Amino acid sequence: MQYILTSAFASNANSGAYGINSAMEGMGLVMDDGRIKHHPILEFKEGRKVRFTFDGKELEGYEGEPIACALHAAGVRVLKESPELKRPRGFFCAIGNCSSCLMTVDGRPNVRVCVERLREGMNVITQKGKGVLLADK
Amino acid sequence: MKVIPMTWAKAVSSCSLDNLPKTADAVVIGGGVIGTSIAYHLAKKGFGRIALLERSYLASGSTGRCGAGVRQQWGTRLNCLLSIDSVRAFERMDDELNYSRSIEFKQGGYLLLAYTRREADQFKKNVLLQQELGIPVSLLTPLEAREIVPILSTDGVLLATFCPTDGHANPFHVTYAYASAGKRLGVDLHTFTEAHEILTESGKITGVKTNKGTISTNTVINAAGPYSGVVAQMVGLDIPFYPERHQILVTEPVDPVLGPMVMSFSRRFYCQQTPHGSFIMGMGDPKEKPGFSISGTWEFLVEMATEITKVLPPVGNLSVVRQWAGLYDMTPDAHPILGPTPCEGFYLACGFSGHGFMLAPVTGKLISEIVCDEEPSIDIHGLDLGRFERGELVIEPSVV
Repeated sequence: MQYILTSAFASNANSGAYGINSAMEGMGLVMDDGRIKHHPILEFKEGRKVRFTFDGKELEGYEGEPIACALHAAGVRVLKESPELKRPRGFFCAIGNCSSCLMTVDGRPNVRVCVERLREGMNVITQKGKGVLLADK
Repeated sequence: MKVIPMTWAKAVSSCSLDNLPKTADAVVIGGGVIGTSIAYHLAKKGFGRIALLERSYLASGSTGRCGAGVRQQWGTRLNCLLSIDSVRAFERMDDELNYSRSIEFKQGGYLLLAYTRREADQFKKNVLLQQELGIPVSLLTPLEAREIVPILSTDGVLLATFCPTDGHANPFHVTYAYASAGKRLGVDLHTFTEAHEILTESGKITGVKTNKGTISTNTVINAAGPYSGVVAQMVGLDIPFYPERHQILVTEPVDPVLGPMVMSFSRRFYCQQTPHGSFIMGMGDPKEKPGFSISGTWEFLVEMATEITKVLPPVGNLSVVRQWAGLYDMTPDAHPILGPTPCEGFYLACGFSGHGFMLAPVTGKLISEIVCDEEPSIDIHGLDLGRFERGELVIEPSVV
């Protein structure tokens, strides 16, 4: 129950960085530097530092950690907009289940970035709408 | 304490307060799209008191499980004529039935792909027949097909045919649209009500016994989809008919990218994108044995994904949301059985062989005409039950 309540709080991206970090800490997900340490279902070691782009900006993360963890460490709180009312959506279930973190990664729409591992040079884009299937892969 | 297991269906059924009428002028067995369409059309004609029996909820059987396609590109004159009429009905259905929502009829066309020489020859013949009947279909080269579906791989495609007025609709909405319009005209809808026995006296229908009581009637219409054979047995009638499982899946939604239903007969698949954005696709399995099973298999998931990512490669980037299965009601010639039977007052509207959804509007109209003793507005003499004994089958070459 504790988990569900704090998750619901964390999903409210408008509550600001402090609120979310507190909630994440409540879940035991965050280290001192704001980087997620324990993931509910995935295990990952702090791999080598890699570069990737997020909405055109170059960011750094650790190879093998979920993309959402690298984004969170970089201060990114809004991961998606809701499909009908276009409200901001943030880190929520963290297990690839809730559709709150769907993003377009390397041209692939609706990637669950909370369970997709980071690789060097990935192109991560905030998705508007339901995502686009491109004719040429 | 002893816990009595109760299914959800039983729970809802026991909560139902509706009382079965003692008598009805007609009883329709089956609350799918065919049954609700028939009930609506009969009520519209003022046939009298009509009771519709559905053993589960509306559209719970083949209707709610179907691929929802509506096409006019058929290989026989009769199927073409029936589907032309149905397409016109789908086009104006929201208005005609005064439906508060939308049946989501999307006329993005049907793109049929020919992969074998034999299939290509058949398509050329079909197109001549279809054009003669006024269907706006054209033969396309693989590159022209790709202009209509940019995500299409033309590998192995010899030619294609395209009809822009084909499409697909939402089978739940169509059923509810018929049911609610019928209800406004006085149709009694009885869900969670199962026909157990059909009563006859000297070869004439006298009533229907259900789990909720008995209705006296002289007219019963069998619209029980894959269970039509079971219902026909209740009056001792054997119909050449068998149920066959077909599997289907749906993906997460993406922005609109696929206009038409894409289909191949030789490779036995079809795939469409709903207005919501989900892709719905299915595949026939030649190894499938007749039977009532509607379990899904993991093999289908693998085979379907393998096949569709060859034909529409970008679809490989989508996640599958769920898979399910439903039953085709197969006849030996893939045409429905429509009309009266040797048992007086017992009518058949079954055997649609996988295209009952698209034929529902015209079926409701024709069956209501036949039951009211009128000349059917389309000559469907060849679709009677007697054709099997007479050996006058009309084989449809274009089915998945």
